[in-house]
Order: sequence, then C-alpha cells, then structure tokens
Amino acid sequence: MGCFMRIPFDTDNFPLGKGPMVMLVLFLISCLFIISPTEEKGKNLEFWIFANTHYEEYQARVPIFETMYPEVNVQLINYGGTMHDKLLTALLSDFGAPDVVEVEITSIGRFLKGDINEVGFIDLRSRLENEGWMDKLVVSRFTPWSYKDRIFGIPHDLHPVVLLYRDDLFKAAGVEMTEVETWEDFISAGKKATRDLDGDGEIDQYAIVLDRRTESDYFNLLLQRGGGFFDEVGNVIIDDDIAIETLEFFTSLFNEHQIATPVYGTWHGDPSNFAAMQDGKILSILAPDWYVGILKSQVPQMSGKWRAIGMPAWELGDRRTTTRGGTMVGITKQCKNPDLAWELLKFAYFDKAGLINRYETTRIIPPLKNAWDAPIYKEPDPYLGGQPLGELFIELAPDLPPRYQNPYWSEAADLLNDAIFAAVTEKQTPRQALTQLAEKVRTIIAKDQERWAQGNK
Amino acid sequence: MKRKRSNYWYHQQKIAPYLFIAPFYILFVVFMGYPLVSSLIMSLYEMRGFQSRIFVGFSNFIDLFRDPIFWKSLWNTTYFALGTLILQLPLALFLAILLNSKIVKGKNILRLAFFAPVLVAGVFIAIIFNIIFDQRAGLINNEFLLFGKEIGWLSESKYVMPAVILTGVWQWAGFNMIFFLAGLQGIRQELYEAAAVDGANWWQSFVHITLPSLRPVIAFVVVVSMIGSFQLFDLPFILTNGGEPADAGTTIVMYLYKNGFQFMRLGYAATIGWVLFIIIAIISIAQLKLLGIFREE
Repeated sequence: MGCFMRIPFDTDNFPLGKGPMVMLVLFLISCLFIISPTEEKGKNLEFWIFANTHYEEYQARVPIFETMYPEVNVQLINYGGTMHDKLLTALLSDFGAPDVVEVEITSIGRFLKGDINEVGFIDLRSRLENEGWMDKLVVSRFTPWSYKDRIFGIPHDLHPVVLLYRDDLFKAAGVEMTEVETWEDFISAGKKATRDLDGDGEIDQYAIVLDRRTESDYFNLLLQRGGGFFDEVGNVIIDDDIAIETLEFFTSLFNEHQIATPVYGTWHGDPSNFAAMQDGKILSILAPDWYVGILKSQVPQMSGKWRAIGMPAWELGDRRTTTRGGTMVGITKQCKNPDLAWELLKFAYFDKAGLINRYETTRIIPPLKNAWDAPIYKEPDPYLGGQPLGELFIELAPDLPPRYQNPYWSEAADLLNDAIFAAVTEKQTPRQALTQLAEKVRTIIAKDQERWAQGNK
Repeated sequence: MKRKRSNYWYHQQKIAPYLFIAPFYILFVVFMGYPLVSSLIMSLYEMRGFQSRIFVGFSNFIDLFRDPIFWKSLWNTTYFALGTLILQLPLALFLAILLNSKIVKGKNILRLAFFAPVLVAGVFIAIIFNIIFDQRAGLINNEFLLFGKEIGWLSESKYVMPAVILTGVWQWAGFNMIFFLAGLQGIRQELYEAAAVDGANWWQSFVHITLPSLRPVIAFVVVVSMIGSFQLFDLPFILTNGGEPADAGTTIVMYLYKNGFQFMRLGYAATIGWVLFIIIAIISIAQLKLLGIFREE
C-alpha cells in the first residue's frame, strides 16, 4: 500500500465533498485526452470509405503503402452508407473531414453545389495533366467527377454494362442471343422468349427485368444513346428528342411489347429479384461489372447458366454499352499534406498489381488502360459457362459514354424517378413526364441562380 | 481564518444549487437552445456553397407551401398517423383488455411476445417486412393471398402507405398495450363491482368506467403516438427505398432529410423542420383539449 502517494490536500475541504471532486478530476482528465494532439501531425492520412469491398481491398493494400512511406500512417475508416452525410457535415463545418475520401457517383452532385471555389475537394486537373495520367485513363470516365473544368476525383472504375442473359432459357425458346445486335432484334427475340409456360394465362418468364421505380435502367439506355440529364455545360437536356424517344422505347418494353417485368423487390440486388432469377422468371438483365460480382456472391448456384453480350445497339454499328454506378477518390481541402495524399491516391487507383487483385475479388474493370493486358481479364469465367467476361468488358470499355455531372443531380434523379414511373404506368405520356420534369429542374436552378445573383449585389 | 471559512460556506450555499442544476442548463443551451435558434435563423437563409449563405427571408416558407412533394409527404405522414390512430391504438387497447382479463392463460409470455417487436431496431424490421411484403415470394401474397391476386405492396403507389401502417402496427401495438395495461390495472375494482350490482353489463362497464378512467393514459398514448407518427423516418425510408415509387412512401422527415443531406438545401430543410414542429404542436394541443386534459376536474 505504501506505493500509493497520499493526496497532498484534505479532500474533505473540497467544496461539495469528495464525490464532486472525483467527478471534476475525471472531467479534467477526459478533457486533456480530447484536446491533446494524439499523433504527430502531417504524417497521418485519414481515408474514409463507404463500400465494404473497397475497405477490404485497402486493408490489404495499405500496409504496402506504409512500407513504401515509413513516415506515413494511413487510417482507414469505413462509415458505410452514412459516410456521405458525415462528409457533408464535416465540409460544411470546415472541421473533421478526412484527407482522402471515396465518393459515390449519385452522391457527388451535392458536394458541387454553389460557388465552385467553395467545393470541399482539391482540383486534381494539374496533377493529372502534369504527370501524364489523362492519356493513360479512359477520359470519358472523368466526366462524373468534373465540373466547370475542374477535376475533383480520380475514377475508381468504368462500370461498363453488358446484357446478361439466360442462354438455356433463350435457346429453349428458339432464340440465339449472340445474333441479337440491335434493340429491334432484342424485341423480336424477347417476344419469342416471353412466355406463359403452363397455359394459365399469366406470363411465367419475361425476356428482361427493368427497374421502373428509379432512373437506373432508363438512364442506362439514355446514356448509351448519347443523351443525359445535363449536358457538358450544365444545361437540362432531359426533354430533348433523344430522352423522350428513349423513354417511349423504355415504356414500350413494358406496355406495348410486354417483354419486360418490373424489378422484383426494391432494386436489382433485392433477394426477391434473385429468387425470380432462380425461378427462371427473368431471362436477361442490364448488368454492369459490379453487378456480376454481386450476382456471383448472392446466387452462386446459378453458375454456368448466364452468358453475356454487349447491349443491343440503337442502330447497327452504334455503341453497345453504357455505364452504371461509380466511385471516385478525392483529396479534401482540409488535408494538411495533399502531396502525400496524392501518392496514396495513385497507389490505390493506379497500381497494376492492386487493380488485378481488385478484378479478382470484385470483377471491377479499372479505368487504367495499361492494366487491361493482364492475363486475368482473358481467363474463362465459370459463372458464365467459361466465357471470358473480362475480355468483353475491356472490349466495350473504350466506347463508354460520358456521364456529365451536375450539382442538381440528386434533385433531378429524384424527380426523374417519378417521371419514369408515371410514364410506365401510363399516368403521363413520356413527353409530358419529361417536359414537366425538365421545367421543374430548370425552375429550381433558375431560382438558385437568381438568389445567388441578388446575394452578390 | 474562522471568519473567512464561514464566509466561504455562506457563498457555497448560495452557489451550490446553481452548480447542481448547471449541467442540465449548459447541455440544454448547447444541444437544444443553440440548434433551435440556429435552425430558425437558417430557415431564413439558403446555402450559396459550402462556406457562404444568402438571406432569403420567408421565401423558403412560401416555396414550401407551393411544393407538391411537401404536400404529398404531409399527406403520407398524416395517412400513417390516422392509421396509427384507427388501427394501432384500438388494437393495443384490445390486447391490453385481453391480457388484463382473467380468462387468458400465460399472460407473462403473451405480454413479452407482444412487447418484443419494440426491442428490434427499426432498420431490421424494415428489412424483414421488405421480404414479407414482396410481391412474388413474400409471405403475405404467397401464403395468405388475401385479396385473390398478387399485390404490389411496395411497388404500387396505393399500397405503399398501407404496408408501412401494417408494419407500424406490428412494431408499436405491443408497446402501447403496456401503457393501456398499466392504466387498466390502476382502475379500482370496486367501481366494476358496484356497476355489476346495479346491473351494468360488460359493454356498459367498459364505456362508463374503463374508458373514462383511462382518459389520461389514452391522452398520453395518443399524443405520443401522433408525435412519433409525424416523425416517421427509418421504416418507410428502408421499406420503400427512399420513398419510391413516385414519392408514395415519402414522409415529412424523409423529405427534410433529402433536402438537407441529399440536395444540400439546409435552409429549406430547416424550414420543413419548423413547419413540422408547428404541425405537431397544433395537433398535440388539439388532442389534449379534445381529450379534456386541460379541463379542471
């Protein structure tokens, strides 16, 4: 007991007694922990992630980076789905943001709102151009992460889309899908394959499953055709002829041709949708590379039943792919050591060995063109009956359409979901739905610009 | 020295009470007072970027009242609140009466069983009901086929809020049952005995003894359930994948979240928050008045 020091003052004389004194001491100690700098500044990089698969990849890769840069300590934090909200709060309060962060394609728009100089990410254009990276990457893939000539992130992926189909069931219906080259061909094939098998008057198998509640599949088709919601300079183009004709085509697959079924459950990755696939109710789906990875992990029992072709073209010889989803990595303006962060970005996104490892685990094709010659992409894929899926994705990748980013994407997508649903359920014609939608979004943008102009006076 | 000490005790006695209550007030000011005032001010501004904002006066309020999605979300939320009032609370009272009666066996197990859904996080409930309501493979359509056809509970606009209400009933009826049960157990048995002597049947006892005696409990449960209903967020957010289709599942708080975090319209989101506060305050006061809580006995 002698080892304990005696408290050098009479604790009974402390105002309010011993209890409050102990509480005060604990409070002061806690405060010391909170305000004291925990680690050496400038050599730490905090890296926020929202996707589990990315987090697992970086967990394995970061120690290699730390060996290359022994003075650096990388702290990986996986916040899951709430990460974007946390990032928004940190950037708004100008405190607590990470040095490096991954952002999802449908979430980046909100971070570009308002004055371009107040965007919380560093412009990477000069670094990319000076080091010659622009030529080495699929350049259209920078469009989702660029706004007003600035590049706020490096693309993690390309996410080309193919048509994944049930070879056995199409063949049973007398259709050879490798002969399908245009959407017109697909409709003819789909009419043969969409069938009532038991004669009860209800269709048992549909040629394709499409999401009519969200913009996902309609936007796939629109981008493939060279359209979009916004053009390169931010104009709303969702009511142009391409957009209207594409929505007319999309609705016709459900209503006129009756070869499409709405997605089972809430999205393509819903267990109900997988169940419908296993039951043979769904014969094809528009699938980006990452979706194939999900399919393999969620329904491994369907191995060997699927095959893939490029998306049917709008006209013979036209683009046979589109792009769906995506992630970027960027450096925030709160980063104290952007040069070091830049090295981490390049290591995570441009290292060939890492990108091959990524394909092995997630089937994601990288935007770095010189990584495509790796033998792994040519390997036969047992899930697709031995078809080398990587080769098909790489063949389509250079033709990826641009997907122009805009600060109003979130509002626009939310309203676009409603417009698509209204058109497919025939509450409005595609023209009415998209014209009204475009007007709404233009009004929102005009109102903001008017307010900001007044604020500048 | 002695004088100094007594002076110290005099001051300590004056200060001590304030020190004791200080933590509450400090926390209230930091975590409630400041955000409340700040959000009120924010509702008069709109963000111009991440570091600057513009004064817009009451423009956000005017825009909100012209916003069709706000009215739709208000209707959806009211629909849920009405569903709670009409379905959930009578069911909770019925369960409480059943579990308070002498004829039911295994009351403790049943109480636990009905209360248990409250212990499950809303997110998990939403995920489970997503599977239950599935159009093809779901338990409701597949096993019961109550309506003779496959109902798109979560894919057709008109069925979305009923699906959310049914999920809410499963989640909260047992919780409210506990309040009613406590209320029922507090009613003096002599009242029922006296009524029986006077020849009152079960229904007359229920209407003239049980319901009036439960008035404070009913008022509490109704007001708390209404406030909870108007704050509905996680259940429909997950169940309907963010309010789809066509905002059929969007509630006011969901719309607030979308504006604040997805559209980066913090001023507009603050406005929705204040309008929601006013709506809840009006409804709560109206209910308390209607149920006679302000009435002097």
